[in-house]
Amino acid sequence: MDISSIWLGFLFCIIVIMNAFTVDEKSSISNFLNSLPYTRKEIVSSKYIGAIIFTFMIIFALFMGNFIINKELIDWKEILLVVCLVLIFVSFSFPFSYKFKSQYLLMGFAIMFVAFMAIGNFVLPKIGPMLDTMNLGEKVEWFAQKLFSLQDVQLYGLIAIVNIVLYACSWLLSIRIYSKKVF
Amino acid sequence: MENVIELRNVNKIFDSFRLNDISLTVKKGFVTGFIGGNGVGKSTTIKLIMNLLQPDSGTISVFGLNYKEHEKEIKQRIGFVFDENVFYENLTLAEMKQIIKPAYSNWDDNLFNHYVKTFELPLKKKIKQFSKGMMMKASLTMALSHHAELIIMDEPTSGLDPIFRRELLEILHQLMEDENKTIFFSTHITTDLDRIADYIAFIHNGELVFTKEIYQIEEEYAIVKGGKELLDRDTEQEFIGIRKSNHGFEALTANKSRIENIFGEMVVIEKPTLEDIMFYTKKGAERFV
Amino acid sequence: MQILISNNSKEPIYEQIYSQIKKQILKNELQAGQALPSMRQLAKDLDISVITTKRAYEELEKNGFIYSVVGKGSFVSEQNHEMIKERKLKVIEEQLVTAIQNSKEIGLSFTELQELLNMLYREED
Repeated sequence: MDISSIWLGFLFCIIVIMNAFTVDEKSSISNFLNSLPYTRKEIVSSKYIGAIIFTFMIIFALFMGNFIINKELIDWKEILLVVCLVLIFVSFSFPFSYKFKSQYLLMGFAIMFVAFMAIGNFVLPKIGPMLDTMNLGEKVEWFAQKLFSLQDVQLYGLIAIVNIVLYACSWLLSIRIYSKKVF
Repeated sequence: MENVIELRNVNKIFDSFRLNDISLTVKKGFVTGFIGGNGVGKSTTIKLIMNLLQPDSGTISVFGLNYKEHEKEIKQRIGFVFDENVFYENLTLAEMKQIIKPAYSNWDDNLFNHYVKTFELPLKKKIKQFSKGMMMKASLTMALSHHAELIIMDEPTSGLDPIFRRELLEILHQLMEDENKTIFFSTHITTDLDRIADYIAFIHNGELVFTKEIYQIEEEYAIVKGGKELLDRDTEQEFIGIRKSNHGFEALTANKSRIENIFGEMVVIEKPTLEDIMFYTKKGAERFV
Repeated sequence: MQILISNNSKEPIYEQIYSQIKKQILKNELQAGQALPSMRQLAKDLDISVITTKRAYEELEKNGFIYSVVGKGSFVSEQNHEMIKERKLKVIEEQLVTAIQNSKEIGLSFTELQELLNMLYREED
Protein backbone atom coordinates (compact mmCIF):
# COMPACT_ATOMS: atom_id res chain seq x y z
CA MET A 1 0.00 0.00 0.00
CA ASP A 2 1.21 3.26 -1.11
CA ILE A 3 0.87 6.85 0.03
CA SER A 4 1.21 8.21 -3.46
CA SER A 5 -1.78 6.35 -4.90
CA ILE A 6 -3.97 7.50 -2.03
CA TRP A 7 -2.73 11.03 -2.50
CA LEU A 8 -3.45 10.74 -6.24
CA GLY A 9 -7.01 9.54 -5.70
CA PHE A 10 -7.55 12.30 -3.17
CA LEU A 11 -6.19 14.98 -5.49
CA PHE A 12 -8.30 13.92 -8.48
CA CYS A 13 -11.45 14.03 -6.43
CA ILE A 14 -10.64 17.41 -4.92
CA ILE A 15 -9.81 18.97 -8.24
CA VAL A 16 -13.04 17.82 -9.89
CA ILE A 17 -15.20 18.75 -6.93
CA MET A 18 -13.70 22.18 -6.36
CA ASN A 19 -13.78 22.94 -10.06
CA ALA A 20 -17.51 22.26 -10.15
CA PHE A 21 -17.91 24.43 -7.08
CA THR A 22 -15.98 27.43 -8.36
CA VAL A 23 -17.73 27.47 -11.76
CA ASP A 24 -20.99 28.21 -9.96
CA GLU A 25 -19.44 30.96 -7.89
CA LYS A 26 -19.34 33.48 -10.71
CA SER A 27 -21.88 36.20 -10.02
CA SER A 28 -23.64 35.70 -13.34
CA ILE A 29 -24.09 31.98 -12.72
CA SER A 30 -25.28 32.49 -9.17
CA ASN A 31 -27.86 34.99 -10.47
CA PHE A 32 -28.93 32.35 -12.95
CA LEU A 33 -29.19 29.59 -10.36
CA ASN A 34 -31.18 31.75 -8.02
CA SER A 35 -33.58 32.67 -10.78
CA LEU A 36 -34.48 29.04 -11.34
CA PRO A 37 -37.27 27.58 -9.23
CA TYR A 38 -34.91 25.93 -6.77
CA THR A 39 -34.56 26.80 -3.12
CA ARG A 40 -31.15 27.73 -1.76
CA LYS A 41 -31.24 24.55 0.22
CA GLU A 42 -31.48 22.55 -2.99
CA ILE A 43 -28.66 24.49 -4.61
CA VAL A 44 -26.32 23.72 -1.72
CA SER A 45 -27.43 20.10 -1.47
CA SER A 46 -26.68 19.54 -5.13
CA LYS A 47 -23.02 20.34 -4.41
CA TYR A 48 -22.79 17.94 -1.51
CA ILE A 49 -24.50 15.12 -3.34
CA GLY A 50 -22.43 15.89 -6.41
CA ALA A 51 -19.23 15.65 -4.36
CA ILE A 52 -20.14 12.14 -3.21
CA ILE A 53 -21.07 11.05 -6.72
CA PHE A 54 -17.85 12.42 -8.21
CA THR A 55 -15.78 10.75 -5.51
CA PHE A 56 -17.24 7.35 -6.17
CA MET A 57 -17.00 7.78 -9.93
CA ILE A 58 -13.31 8.69 -9.70
CA ILE A 59 -12.49 5.90 -7.28
CA PHE A 60 -14.30 3.45 -9.51
CA ALA A 61 -12.29 4.68 -12.50
CA LEU A 62 -9.02 4.37 -10.57
CA PHE A 63 -10.04 0.96 -9.33
CA MET A 64 -10.83 -0.33 -12.82
CA GLY A 65 -7.70 1.33 -14.18
CA ASN A 66 -5.54 -0.29 -11.59
CA PHE A 67 -7.23 -3.65 -12.17
CA ILE A 68 -6.77 -3.54 -15.92
CA ILE A 69 -3.25 -2.11 -15.99
CA ASN A 70 -1.65 -3.58 -12.90
CA LYS A 71 -3.87 -6.65 -12.62
CA GLU A 72 -4.38 -6.07 -8.94
CA LEU A 73 -7.25 -4.97 -6.72
CA ILE A 74 -6.99 -1.95 -4.47
CA ASP A 75 -7.34 -2.70 -0.81
CA TRP A 76 -10.74 -1.58 0.61
CA LYS A 77 -8.93 0.19 3.41
CA GLU A 78 -7.25 2.46 0.88
CA ILE A 79 -10.58 3.25 -0.75
CA LEU A 80 -12.08 4.05 2.60
CA LEU A 81 -9.19 6.31 3.43
CA VAL A 82 -9.51 8.26 0.19
CA VAL A 83 -13.26 8.66 0.64
CA CYS A 84 -12.79 9.81 4.22
CA LEU A 85 -10.07 12.26 3.32
CA VAL A 86 -12.22 13.71 0.52
CA LEU A 87 -15.25 14.03 2.78
CA ILE A 88 -13.19 15.74 5.45
CA PHE A 89 -11.76 18.14 2.91
CA VAL A 90 -15.22 18.95 1.53
CA SER A 91 -16.65 19.33 5.02
CA PHE A 92 -14.21 22.13 5.73
CA SER A 93 -13.82 23.77 2.35
CA PHE A 94 -17.50 24.07 1.33
CA PRO A 95 -18.77 26.13 4.27
CA PHE A 96 -15.57 28.14 4.19
CA SER A 97 -16.03 28.86 0.48
CA TYR A 98 -19.68 29.74 0.91
CA LYS A 99 -18.76 32.20 3.60
CA PHE A 100 -15.53 33.62 2.25
CA LYS A 101 -15.33 32.56 -1.42
CA SER A 102 -13.07 29.78 -2.64
CA GLN A 103 -10.28 32.14 -3.63
CA TYR A 104 -9.43 32.40 0.01
CA LEU A 105 -9.43 28.66 0.37
CA LEU A 106 -5.77 28.48 -0.56
CA MET A 107 -4.99 31.07 2.07
CA GLY A 108 -7.08 29.16 4.56
CA PHE A 109 -5.19 26.00 3.87
CA ALA A 110 -1.85 27.74 4.04
CA ILE A 111 -2.78 28.89 7.51
CA MET A 112 -3.89 25.38 8.41
CA PHE A 113 -0.65 23.96 7.06
CA VAL A 114 1.42 26.30 9.20
CA ALA A 115 -0.65 25.32 12.20
CA PHE A 116 -0.11 21.67 11.30
CA MET A 117 3.62 22.20 11.09
CA ALA A 118 3.61 23.95 14.42
CA ILE A 119 1.73 21.06 15.99
CA GLY A 120 4.01 18.57 14.29
CA ASN A 121 7.16 20.21 15.55
CA PHE A 122 6.18 21.34 18.99
CA VAL A 123 3.19 19.38 20.21
CA LEU A 124 3.83 15.87 18.93
CA PRO A 125 7.34 15.55 20.34
CA LYS A 126 5.70 15.43 23.71
CA ILE A 127 3.84 12.30 22.62
CA GLY A 128 6.19 9.39 22.14
CA PRO A 129 9.95 9.85 22.28
CA MET A 130 10.40 8.27 18.87
CA LEU A 131 8.63 11.03 16.99
CA ASP A 132 10.93 14.00 17.31
CA THR A 133 13.67 12.21 15.43
CA MET A 134 11.62 11.91 12.22
CA ASN A 135 10.69 14.57 9.66
CA LEU A 136 7.13 15.36 8.65
CA GLY A 137 6.76 12.95 5.74
CA GLU A 138 8.00 10.10 7.85
CA LYS A 139 5.65 11.11 10.61
CA VAL A 140 2.69 10.87 8.27
CA GLU A 141 3.89 7.51 7.00
CA TRP A 142 4.29 6.29 10.55
CA PHE A 143 0.75 7.45 11.39
CA ALA A 144 -0.69 5.80 8.28
CA GLN A 145 1.16 2.55 9.01
CA LYS A 146 -0.21 2.51 12.52
CA LEU A 147 -3.71 3.05 11.15
CA PHE A 148 -3.51 0.25 8.65
CA SER A 149 -2.07 -2.21 11.04
CA LEU A 150 -5.19 -2.02 13.12
CA GLN A 151 -7.35 -5.00 12.28
CA ASP A 152 -10.33 -3.82 14.13
CA VAL A 153 -13.22 -3.39 11.72
CA GLN A 154 -15.12 -1.55 14.38
CA LEU A 155 -12.50 1.17 14.37
CA TYR A 156 -13.04 1.71 10.66
CA GLY A 157 -16.74 1.73 11.21
CA LEU A 158 -16.25 4.44 13.81
CA ILE A 159 -14.10 6.50 11.49
CA ALA A 160 -16.73 6.19 8.75
CA ILE A 161 -19.49 7.31 11.10
CA VAL A 162 -17.49 10.28 12.36
CA ASN A 163 -16.91 11.29 8.76
CA ILE A 164 -20.57 11.02 7.85
CA VAL A 165 -21.58 13.08 10.85
CA LEU A 166 -18.97 15.69 10.00
CA TYR A 167 -20.23 15.81 6.43
CA ALA A 168 -23.83 16.16 7.56
CA CYS A 169 -22.94 19.01 9.92
CA SER A 170 -21.02 20.74 7.17
CA TRP A 171 -24.02 20.33 4.85
CA LEU A 172 -26.34 21.96 7.34
CA LEU A 173 -23.88 24.73 8.04
CA SER A 174 -23.50 25.48 4.35
CA ILE A 175 -27.27 25.64 3.90
CA ARG A 176 -27.43 28.08 6.78
CA ILE A 177 -24.68 30.28 5.34
CA TYR A 178 -26.02 30.25 1.80
CA SER A 179 -29.61 30.94 2.85
CA LYS A 180 -28.52 34.12 4.52
CA LYS A 181 -26.26 35.17 1.70
CA VAL A 182 -26.82 38.59 0.13
CA PHE A 183 -26.12 38.99 -3.58
CA MET B 1 -56.67 44.76 -12.89
CA GLU B 2 -54.50 42.85 -10.50
CA ASN B 3 -50.98 43.60 -9.41
CA VAL B 4 -48.42 41.06 -10.45
CA ILE B 5 -45.69 42.64 -8.35
CA GLU B 6 -46.41 44.65 -5.25
CA LEU B 7 -43.80 46.30 -3.07
CA ARG B 8 -45.17 48.00 0.00
CA ASN B 9 -43.13 50.38 2.13
CA VAL B 10 -39.94 48.54 1.37
CA ASN B 11 -36.80 49.81 3.03
CA LYS B 12 -33.31 48.51 2.47
CA ILE B 13 -30.24 50.05 4.01
CA PHE B 14 -26.66 49.60 2.87
CA ASP B 15 -23.53 51.37 4.07
CA SER B 16 -23.47 53.99 1.35
CA PHE B 17 -27.02 53.90 0.12
CA ARG B 18 -30.60 53.26 1.05
CA LEU B 19 -33.89 52.40 -0.58
CA ASN B 20 -36.49 54.54 1.08
CA ASP B 21 -40.09 53.49 1.63
CA ILE B 22 -40.65 52.12 -1.86
CA SER B 23 -44.20 51.21 -2.80
CA LEU B 24 -44.29 49.93 -6.33
CA THR B 25 -46.99 48.07 -8.24
CA VAL B 26 -46.75 46.32 -11.58
CA LYS B 27 -50.09 45.68 -13.23
CA LYS B 28 -50.95 42.48 -15.03
CA GLY B 29 -51.21 42.56 -18.80
CA PHE B 30 -49.06 45.65 -19.23
CA VAL B 31 -45.47 46.71 -19.72
CA THR B 32 -44.04 48.65 -16.80
CA GLY B 33 -40.85 50.49 -17.57
CA PHE B 34 -38.49 51.07 -14.66
CA ILE B 35 -36.24 54.05 -15.19
CA GLY B 36 -33.56 55.82 -13.23
CA GLY B 37 -29.91 56.67 -13.57
CA ASN B 38 -27.06 54.47 -12.42
CA GLY B 39 -26.65 53.88 -8.75
CA VAL B 40 -30.11 55.07 -7.75
CA GLY B 41 -31.56 51.78 -6.63
CA LYS B 42 -32.78 50.09 -9.80
CA SER B 43 -30.73 46.91 -9.45
CA THR B 44 -31.36 46.78 -5.73
CA THR B 45 -35.10 46.91 -6.38
CA ILE B 46 -34.85 44.16 -8.95
CA LYS B 47 -32.82 42.01 -6.60
CA LEU B 48 -35.52 42.47 -4.00
CA ILE B 49 -38.16 41.44 -6.52
CA MET B 50 -36.10 38.36 -7.37
CA ASN B 51 -35.42 37.49 -3.75
CA LEU B 52 -31.67 37.83 -4.10
CA LEU B 53 -32.01 40.28 -1.21
CA GLN B 54 -34.47 40.61 1.62
CA PRO B 55 -35.96 43.95 2.64
CA ASP B 56 -35.21 45.41 6.06
CA SER B 57 -38.88 46.28 6.38
CA GLY B 58 -41.98 46.26 4.21
CA THR B 59 -43.51 43.50 2.12
CA ILE B 60 -42.90 42.12 -1.33
CA SER B 61 -45.44 39.98 -3.09
CA VAL B 62 -45.40 38.47 -6.54
CA PHE B 63 -48.61 37.00 -7.99
CA GLY B 64 -50.06 37.82 -4.61
CA LEU B 65 -47.69 35.37 -2.92
CA ASN B 66 -44.72 35.93 -0.66
CA TYR B 67 -41.30 34.45 -1.17
CA LYS B 68 -40.95 33.02 2.27
CA GLU B 69 -43.63 30.42 1.69
CA HIS B 70 -43.94 30.21 -2.08
CA GLU B 71 -40.47 30.71 -3.54
CA LYS B 72 -40.53 27.86 -6.02
CA GLU B 73 -44.11 28.51 -7.09
CA ILE B 74 -43.35 32.14 -7.85
CA LYS B 75 -40.17 31.37 -9.76
CA GLN B 76 -41.96 28.78 -11.88
CA ARG B 77 -43.99 31.60 -13.36
CA ILE B 78 -41.27 34.15 -13.90
CA GLY B 79 -38.81 34.45 -16.73
CA PHE B 80 -35.70 36.55 -16.15
CA VAL B 81 -33.68 38.25 -18.84
CA PHE B 82 -30.36 39.68 -17.66
CA ASP B 83 -27.97 42.15 -19.17
CA GLU B 84 -25.01 39.80 -19.13
CA ASN B 85 -24.55 36.22 -20.04
CA VAL B 86 -25.81 33.99 -17.31
CA PHE B 87 -25.35 30.61 -18.88
CA TYR B 88 -22.42 28.22 -18.67
CA GLU B 89 -20.07 29.47 -21.35
CA ASN B 90 -18.65 26.17 -22.40
CA LEU B 91 -22.00 24.58 -23.05
CA THR B 92 -24.17 24.82 -26.13
CA LEU B 93 -27.71 26.12 -26.19
CA ALA B 94 -29.03 22.58 -26.53
CA GLU B 95 -27.07 21.53 -23.42
CA MET B 96 -28.29 24.54 -21.45
CA LYS B 97 -31.81 23.54 -22.36
CA GLN B 98 -31.18 20.10 -20.88
CA ILE B 99 -30.19 21.77 -17.63
CA ILE B 100 -33.03 24.26 -17.52
CA LYS B 101 -35.91 22.16 -18.81
CA PRO B 102 -36.32 19.85 -15.77
CA ALA B 103 -36.56 22.84 -13.46
CA TYR B 104 -39.85 24.03 -14.93
CA SER B 105 -43.09 22.13 -14.83
CA ASN B 106 -44.52 24.17 -17.71
CA TRP B 107 -41.61 23.77 -20.06
CA ASP B 108 -42.74 23.60 -23.67
CA ASP B 109 -40.33 22.16 -26.20
CA ASN B 110 -42.46 23.35 -29.09
CA LEU B 111 -42.23 26.92 -27.85
CA PHE B 112 -38.50 26.56 -27.34
CA ASN B 113 -38.01 25.31 -30.89
CA HIS B 114 -40.29 28.02 -32.22
CA TYR B 115 -38.20 30.77 -30.63
CA VAL B 116 -34.91 29.16 -31.59
CA LYS B 117 -36.12 29.15 -35.17
CA THR B 118 -37.56 32.68 -35.07
CA PHE B 119 -34.44 34.12 -33.47
CA GLU B 120 -32.17 32.00 -35.64
CA LEU B 121 -30.15 30.71 -32.71
CA PRO B 122 -27.53 28.00 -33.18
CA LEU B 123 -28.14 24.97 -31.00
CA LYS B 124 -24.69 23.42 -31.21
CA LYS B 125 -22.46 26.42 -30.74
CA LYS B 126 -20.75 27.16 -27.42
CA ILE B 127 -22.39 30.01 -25.61
CA LYS B 128 -19.13 31.88 -25.20
CA GLN B 129 -19.11 32.31 -28.97
CA PHE B 130 -22.49 34.00 -29.03
CA SER B 131 -22.69 37.69 -29.86
CA LYS B 132 -24.33 39.93 -27.31
CA GLY B 133 -27.52 40.11 -29.36
CA MET B 134 -27.68 36.34 -29.65
CA MET B 135 -27.15 35.95 -25.92
CA MET B 136 -30.05 38.25 -25.21
CA LYS B 137 -32.25 36.31 -27.57
CA ALA B 138 -31.12 33.05 -25.96
CA SER B 139 -31.93 34.45 -22.54
CA LEU B 140 -35.33 35.57 -23.77
CA THR B 141 -35.98 32.17 -25.36
CA MET B 142 -35.35 30.40 -22.06
CA ALA B 143 -37.52 32.93 -20.26
CA LEU B 144 -40.43 32.44 -22.65
CA SER B 145 -40.27 28.69 -23.18
CA HIS B 146 -41.80 27.79 -19.87
CA HIS B 147 -44.92 29.93 -20.39
CA ALA B 148 -43.75 32.53 -17.91
CA GLU B 149 -46.48 34.99 -16.97
CA LEU B 150 -44.09 37.65 -15.77
CA ILE B 151 -40.98 38.60 -17.70
CA ILE B 152 -38.44 40.65 -15.78
CA MET B 153 -35.85 42.32 -17.94
CA ASP B 154 -32.85 44.00 -16.35
CA GLU B 155 -31.10 46.29 -18.82
CA PRO B 156 -31.67 43.81 -21.62
CA THR B 157 -30.63 46.16 -24.41
CA SER B 158 -27.46 47.70 -23.05
CA GLY B 159 -24.69 47.19 -25.55
CA LEU B 160 -27.04 46.22 -28.36
CA ASP B 161 -27.34 48.05 -31.66
CA PRO B 162 -30.47 50.07 -32.47
CA ILE B 163 -31.64 47.60 -35.09
CA PHE B 164 -31.63 44.80 -32.61
CA ARG B 165 -33.43 46.98 -30.08
CA ARG B 166 -36.22 47.53 -32.58
CA GLU B 167 -36.42 43.79 -33.22
CA LEU B 168 -36.78 43.23 -29.53
CA LEU B 169 -39.61 45.76 -29.42
CA GLU B 170 -41.45 43.80 -32.08
CA ILE B 171 -41.02 40.63 -30.12
CA LEU B 172 -42.38 42.29 -27.01
CA HIS B 173 -45.33 43.72 -28.92
CA GLN B 174 -46.22 40.24 -30.08
CA LEU B 175 -45.93 38.99 -26.54
CA MET B 176 -48.25 41.67 -25.21
CA GLU B 177 -51.05 40.51 -27.47
CA ASP B 178 -51.65 38.04 -24.68
CA GLU B 179 -53.40 39.90 -21.88
CA ASN B 180 -52.06 37.46 -19.29
CA LYS B 181 -48.45 38.39 -19.84
CA THR B 182 -46.75 41.13 -17.84
CA ILE B 183 -43.40 42.71 -18.52
CA PHE B 184 -41.18 44.60 -16.08
CA PHE B 185 -38.49 46.37 -18.05
CA SER B 186 -35.67 48.11 -16.22
CA THR B 187 -33.47 50.26 -18.39
CA HIS B 188 -31.59 53.51 -18.61
CA ILE B 189 -32.03 53.59 -22.38
CA THR B 190 -35.40 55.29 -22.09
CA THR B 191 -36.03 55.53 -25.81
CA ASP B 192 -36.60 51.78 -25.76
CA LEU B 193 -39.70 52.38 -23.69
CA ASP B 194 -41.35 55.06 -25.79
CA ARG B 195 -43.33 52.73 -27.95
CA ILE B 196 -44.04 49.84 -25.66
CA ALA B 197 -44.25 50.91 -22.03
CA ASP B 198 -47.73 51.39 -20.59
CA TYR B 199 -46.61 52.52 -17.14
CA ILE B 200 -43.40 54.21 -16.11
CA ALA B 201 -41.93 53.87 -12.64
CA PHE B 202 -39.21 56.43 -12.00
CA ILE B 203 -36.73 55.90 -9.21
CA HIS B 204 -34.24 58.54 -8.05
CA ASN B 205 -31.89 58.50 -5.09
CA GLY B 206 -33.49 55.46 -3.56
CA GLU B 207 -37.00 56.88 -3.74
CA LEU B 208 -39.81 56.18 -6.15
CA VAL B 209 -40.62 59.53 -7.72
CA PHE B 210 -43.73 58.33 -9.55
CA THR B 211 -45.53 55.48 -11.26
CA LYS B 212 -47.72 56.80 -14.05
CA GLU B 213 -49.41 55.83 -17.28
CA ILE B 214 -47.32 57.15 -20.15
CA TYR B 215 -50.00 59.43 -21.52
CA GLN B 216 -50.37 60.91 -18.05
CA ILE B 217 -46.75 61.95 -18.16
CA GLU B 218 -47.42 63.82 -21.38
CA GLU B 219 -50.43 65.53 -19.81
CA GLU B 220 -48.69 66.63 -16.64
CA TYR B 221 -45.05 67.13 -17.49
CA ALA B 222 -43.67 69.61 -19.99
CA ILE B 223 -40.46 71.19 -21.11
CA VAL B 224 -40.73 74.96 -20.84
CA LYS B 225 -38.46 77.29 -22.77
CA GLY B 226 -38.36 81.03 -22.39
CA GLY B 227 -36.37 84.14 -21.72
CA LYS B 228 -34.40 84.43 -18.48
CA GLU B 229 -36.27 87.59 -17.53
CA LEU B 230 -39.28 85.40 -16.77
CA LEU B 231 -37.42 83.71 -13.94
CA ASP B 232 -37.59 84.99 -10.41
CA ARG B 233 -37.73 83.51 -6.91
CA ASP B 234 -41.39 82.59 -7.27
CA THR B 235 -41.45 81.28 -10.80
CA GLU B 236 -38.36 79.13 -10.24
CA GLN B 237 -40.35 77.21 -7.64
CA GLU B 238 -42.70 76.01 -10.38
CA PHE B 239 -39.99 73.94 -11.99
CA ILE B 240 -38.38 70.66 -11.10
CA GLY B 241 -35.08 71.56 -12.70
CA ILE B 242 -33.82 74.50 -14.72
CA ARG B 243 -31.05 74.90 -17.22
CA LYS B 244 -29.94 78.44 -17.96
CA SER B 245 -27.91 79.54 -20.92
CA ASN B 246 -27.04 82.75 -22.73
CA HIS B 247 -30.11 82.41 -24.87
CA GLY B 248 -32.69 81.76 -22.20
CA PHE B 249 -33.74 78.93 -19.96
CA GLU B 250 -35.09 75.44 -20.37
CA ALA B 251 -36.93 73.77 -17.53
CA LEU B 252 -39.13 70.87 -16.59
CA THR B 253 -42.45 71.24 -14.86
CA ALA B 254 -44.76 68.64 -13.39
CA ASN B 255 -47.73 70.90 -13.76
CA LYS B 256 -48.20 71.76 -17.39
CA SER B 257 -51.57 73.48 -17.14
CA ARG B 258 -50.35 75.76 -14.36
CA ILE B 259 -47.41 76.90 -16.42
CA GLU B 260 -49.73 77.51 -19.35
CA ASN B 261 -51.83 79.72 -17.11
CA ILE B 262 -48.92 81.64 -15.68
CA PHE B 263 -46.87 82.22 -18.80
CA GLY B 264 -49.29 81.66 -21.67
CA GLU B 265 -47.75 82.66 -24.95
CA MET B 266 -44.52 83.91 -23.41
CA VAL B 267 -42.93 80.48 -23.37
CA VAL B 268 -42.57 77.50 -25.65
CA ILE B 269 -44.08 74.37 -24.16
CA GLU B 270 -43.00 70.96 -25.42
CA LYS B 271 -43.52 67.30 -24.79
CA PRO B 272 -40.81 65.96 -22.47
CA THR B 273 -38.91 62.77 -23.17
CA LEU B 274 -38.28 60.34 -20.33
CA GLU B 275 -34.64 61.35 -20.54
CA ASP B 276 -35.64 64.97 -19.92
CA ILE B 277 -37.50 63.91 -16.82
CA MET B 278 -34.53 61.94 -15.49
CA PHE B 279 -32.07 64.70 -16.32
CA TYR B 280 -34.02 67.58 -14.80
CA THR B 281 -34.99 65.64 -11.72
CA LYS B 282 -31.33 65.03 -11.03
CA LYS B 283 -30.48 68.66 -11.83
CA GLY B 284 -33.20 69.86 -9.52
CA ALA B 285 -31.97 67.71 -6.67
CA GLU B 286 -28.47 69.12 -7.07
CA ARG B 287 -29.87 72.59 -6.59
CA PHE B 288 -30.68 71.87 -2.99
CA VAL B 289 -27.37 70.33 -2.12
CA MET C 1 -59.57 50.67 -40.98
CA GLN C 2 -56.85 53.14 -41.71
CA ILE C 3 -55.12 54.98 -38.90
CA LEU C 4 -52.11 57.22 -39.25
CA ILE C 5 -50.32 58.46 -36.20
CA SER C 6 -47.99 61.39 -36.02
CA ASN C 7 -45.40 61.21 -33.25
CA ASN C 8 -44.54 64.84 -33.66
CA SER C 9 -48.03 66.19 -33.32
CA LYS C 10 -49.08 68.13 -30.24
CA GLU C 11 -52.11 65.95 -30.01
CA PRO C 12 -51.59 62.92 -27.76
CA ILE C 13 -51.58 59.65 -29.64
CA TYR C 14 -54.71 58.28 -27.99
CA GLU C 15 -56.57 61.37 -29.10
CA GLN C 16 -55.39 60.97 -32.66
CA ILE C 17 -56.71 57.43 -32.71
CA TYR C 18 -59.95 58.53 -31.10
CA SER C 19 -60.59 61.26 -33.67
CA GLN C 20 -59.67 59.15 -36.65
CA ILE C 21 -61.90 56.27 -35.66
CA LYS C 22 -64.70 58.65 -34.74
CA LYS C 23 -64.42 60.34 -38.12
CA GLN C 24 -64.61 57.05 -39.96
CA ILE C 25 -67.65 56.00 -37.95
CA LEU C 26 -69.44 59.28 -38.61
CA LYS C 27 -68.66 59.11 -42.30
CA ASN C 28 -69.98 55.57 -42.31
CA GLU C 29 -66.65 54.20 -43.50
CA LEU C 30 -66.94 51.94 -40.46
CA GLN C 31 -70.35 50.34 -40.50
CA ALA C 32 -72.52 49.77 -37.49
CA GLY C 33 -71.89 46.34 -35.99
CA GLN C 34 -68.46 46.09 -37.62
CA ALA C 35 -65.78 44.59 -35.41
CA LEU C 36 -62.78 46.67 -34.48
CA PRO C 37 -59.37 45.08 -33.98
CA SER C 38 -58.65 44.26 -30.34
CA MET C 39 -56.85 47.02 -28.51
CA ARG C 40 -53.81 44.82 -28.16
CA GLN C 41 -53.69 43.94 -31.81
CA LEU C 42 -54.09 47.59 -32.76
CA ALA C 43 -51.25 48.51 -30.43
CA LYS C 44 -49.02 45.97 -32.08
CA ASP C 45 -49.95 47.08 -35.58
CA LEU C 46 -49.42 50.76 -34.81
CA ASP C 47 -46.27 50.06 -32.77
CA ILE C 48 -47.53 51.85 -29.67
CA SER C 49 -48.32 50.99 -26.06
CA VAL C 50 -51.41 48.98 -25.28
CA ILE C 51 -52.56 51.49 -22.71
CA THR C 52 -52.81 54.13 -25.46
CA THR C 53 -55.23 52.13 -27.60
CA LYS C 54 -57.05 51.16 -24.41
CA ARG C 55 -57.59 54.81 -23.55
CA ALA C 56 -58.76 55.58 -27.11
CA TYR C 57 -61.25 52.71 -27.01
CA GLU C 58 -62.45 53.76 -23.58
CA GLU C 59 -63.13 57.26 -24.81
CA LEU C 60 -64.94 55.95 -27.89
CA GLU C 61 -67.08 53.75 -25.72
CA LYS C 62 -67.78 56.54 -23.26
CA ASN C 63 -69.05 58.72 -26.05
CA GLY C 64 -71.20 56.01 -27.51
CA PHE C 65 -69.31 55.37 -30.71
CA ILE C 66 -68.42 51.79 -29.92
CA TYR C 67 -69.47 49.12 -27.47
CA SER C 68 -67.58 46.11 -26.09
CA VAL C 69 -68.64 42.55 -25.49
CA VAL C 70 -66.52 40.63 -22.98
CA GLY C 71 -64.66 37.86 -24.72
CA LYS C 72 -65.69 39.01 -28.17
CA GLY C 73 -64.20 42.46 -28.65
CA SER C 74 -65.35 45.93 -29.64
CA PHE C 75 -67.93 46.87 -32.25
CA VAL C 76 -69.20 50.01 -33.90
CA SER C 77 -72.45 51.26 -32.37
CA GLU C 78 -75.49 52.22 -34.32
CA GLN C 79 -75.06 55.89 -35.01
CA ASN C 80 -78.07 58.03 -35.18
CA HIS C 81 -76.82 59.91 -38.22
CA GLU C 82 -79.74 62.27 -38.46
CA MET C 83 -79.31 63.47 -34.91
CA ILE C 84 -75.57 63.90 -35.33
CA LYS C 85 -76.11 65.85 -38.51
CA GLU C 86 -78.62 68.08 -36.80
CA ARG C 87 -76.31 68.74 -33.88
CA LYS C 88 -73.42 69.60 -36.16
CA LEU C 89 -75.66 71.85 -38.26
CA LYS C 90 -76.53 73.80 -35.15
CA VAL C 91 -72.83 74.27 -34.32
CA ILE C 92 -72.13 75.40 -37.90
CA GLU C 93 -74.98 77.89 -37.67
CA GLU C 94 -73.63 79.38 -34.47
CA GLN C 95 -70.12 79.62 -35.90
CA LEU C 96 -71.41 81.28 -39.09
CA VAL C 97 -73.41 83.81 -37.08
CA THR C 98 -70.24 84.75 -35.19
CA ALA C 99 -68.28 85.03 -38.44
CA ILE C 100 -70.98 87.29 -39.95
CA GLN C 101 -71.05 89.50 -36.87
CA ASN C 102 -67.26 89.86 -36.95
CA SER C 103 -67.27 90.72 -40.67
CA LYS C 104 -69.96 93.38 -40.16
CA GLU C 105 -67.85 94.93 -37.40
CA ILE C 106 -64.87 95.43 -39.67
CA GLY C 107 -67.03 96.28 -42.70
CA LEU C 108 -66.37 93.13 -44.70
CA SER C 109 -68.92 92.79 -47.53
CA PHE C 110 -70.89 89.62 -48.18
CA THR C 111 -68.97 89.00 -51.43
CA GLU C 112 -65.63 89.36 -49.64
CA LEU C 113 -66.84 86.93 -47.00
CA GLN C 114 -67.88 84.46 -49.68
CA GLU C 115 -64.46 84.69 -51.32
CA LEU C 116 -62.80 84.06 -47.98
CA LEU C 117 -65.02 81.04 -47.39
CA ASN C 118 -64.21 79.72 -50.87
CA MET C 119 -60.48 80.04 -50.32
CA LEU C 120 -60.55 78.46 -46.87
CA TYR C 121 -62.79 75.59 -47.95
CA ARG C 122 -60.44 74.70 -50.75
CA GLU C 123 -57.45 74.87 -48.38
CA GLU C 124 -59.00 72.25 -46.15
CA ASP C 125 -59.17 69.82 -49.04
